[in-house]
Amino acid sequence: MFFREEIVVVAEGSWVVQAFPVIGENLPISTLEKVNQVEGVKTVVPMVVRFGYQVEAVIQLVPTNVSIGIPFGNLSVLIGQTPLKPGGTWPVVAQEEVVVGPSLALEWNFDAGSKIKVSSKHAYMNLTVSGILDTRSALLSRSIILPLRLAQQLSYGHTMFVNMIIAEPEYIDQQELIANRIEQEIPGLKALSINERNQIVEPLLSDIETWNLGLSSVLYLLSMILVIMVSTMNISERRRDFATLDAIGAPKSTIFRIVMIETALIGLLGGVLGVLLGSIAAVLIASIYTSIPLSLFFADLLAFISPFFLTKIITSTVVISSIAGILSAITALRINLPETLRAEY
Amino acid sequence: MIVKTQDLTRIYQLGTSIISAVNRVNLEIRDASFVTILGPSGSGKTTLLNLIGLIDQPTSGKVYFRNQDVSLLTDKERRNIRLHSMGFVFQTFNLLPTLTTVENVELPLALAKISGQLQHKRAIELLTAVDLSHRLHHRPRELSMGEMQRVAIARALANDPCLILADEPTGELDTETGSEIIKLLVDLCQGKKTTVLLTTHDKKVAEVADERYYIQDGKLEYESS
Repeated sequence: MFFREEIVVVAEGSWVVQAFPVIGENLPISTLEKVNQVEGVKTVVPMVVRFGYQVEAVIQLVPTNVSIGIPFGNLSVLIGQTPLKPGGTWPVVAQEEVVVGPSLALEWNFDAGSKIKVSSKHAYMNLTVSGILDTRSALLSRSIILPLRLAQQLSYGHTMFVNMIIAEPEYIDQQELIANRIEQEIPGLKALSINERNQIVEPLLSDIETWNLGLSSVLYLLSMILVIMVSTMNISERRRDFATLDAIGAPKSTIFRIVMIETALIGLLGGVLGVLLGSIAAVLIASIYTSIPLSLFFADLLAFISPFFLTKIITSTVVISSIAGILSAITALRINLPETLRAEY
Repeated sequence: MIVKTQDLTRIYQLGTSIISAVNRVNLEIRDASFVTILGPSGSGKTTLLNLIGLIDQPTSGKVYFRNQDVSLLTDKERRNIRLHSMGFVFQTFNLLPTLTTVENVELPLALAKISGQLQHKRAIELLTAVDLSHRLHHRPRELSMGEMQRVAIARALANDPCLILADEPTGELDTETGSEIIKLLVDLCQGKKTTVLLTTHDKKVAEVADERYYIQDGKLEYESS
């Protein structure tokens, strides 16, 4: 999450997702000074953020790239301690340099020193990539970070506007209070603390979680039924083998154990394969909808899909198939021995 | 006396008709004897063998194994007798297809909780005795019918049982292979003084026995040699 300790100030009516205005009005540059004057505000950082969407073969649900203009002296507000990949240097504003995210760099084959052309209806610029960010952040990965002045020129054709201001309160615990004060003192502004920004996405996350729970419950139930069916069919096909085991004196517990181990192993194999195929599918879909190259996803697959999550999924499939295995084991123990031995296969 | 039956009867109900597969059979089998039961298909041979082998339960009558009334035994005790004191040879071999030859023979030893090394040693001894030492790691589908039946005999002998129950062991084999299998069974069991109860519909096979019985419509008759 960006700007945990800061207040995000945007024009009233703007639509903020997490920390950035996706849609909304611009703010006159004079707003910066007004916000700075509000009691309890320590520093202010102006920014211009533009999300680029692309409509081609696949409609992009998430932006294909992000242009962020920020005074380079305040870059750490945005990127924190994120380093550059080896060979890069931090930009020097006078030389019109930019830094880009690793996903964009990989897609367009950028290196430190690459020349890039950036254009909009307001301006056309020849810029130099001074460095590639070494980050796993999806947003920064697809970002081109420019000096604020250049971003303003591209967006507006002049430097009179920004579209967001980051205000740092003097004390973190006063974040809410100062956000309210900004809204009260400067009409037409929306100042969002971290809690307010979370509240915006909370209903959405809660809905996703409910759907996730419902879907996963149905899927678990279906997979249990499927495992029971497959396992029972498997036992039905091998009933002569179980009858033979029974005839030569195998204890019931041994037959029960054999079936349970088999179904648990099926569950383990299914879990591992499911996680592998599911991860590949998820990465493919994510790559299509975010434009982040597959190689970046695969390089850090475990960073996206945590080992704890993998263990949880595989364990749950083993548990489900073991529960299903109990029914199959009972089927194996209920075989009519004389009839099965007599039957011709 | 290793096995004795008393008015042993097994009745099946198929729809509205009642079939007496085994009808008041009285049979006594001495220790170390080789007994054959001759009869056509559907005469009740397999049912009788299943009753004596504790695989099936009689409708009425008794089976005594080593003078013990088996109807008084629990399921666990019956399984225990099948595992330690009886060996089964089936007409269709009933080898486990996923296991190798040696693993099939090791199976009853594993069930009897014999240690891994001993299991393997004993299985190899038995497979050598049935002339299959060159087929230890083959799976059943890679063996001929005769070889499969040899493996089944080795498996039946694994736990050194006192009674071998062979249900038409030559039924799936040609005459020559069938004769070899019967000779093998006679040689192995005579050497170990193991009792054999064998069912067949082939008169020639039945002739090798010390005692011969004939079964028809579930009724057993003694045939003098």
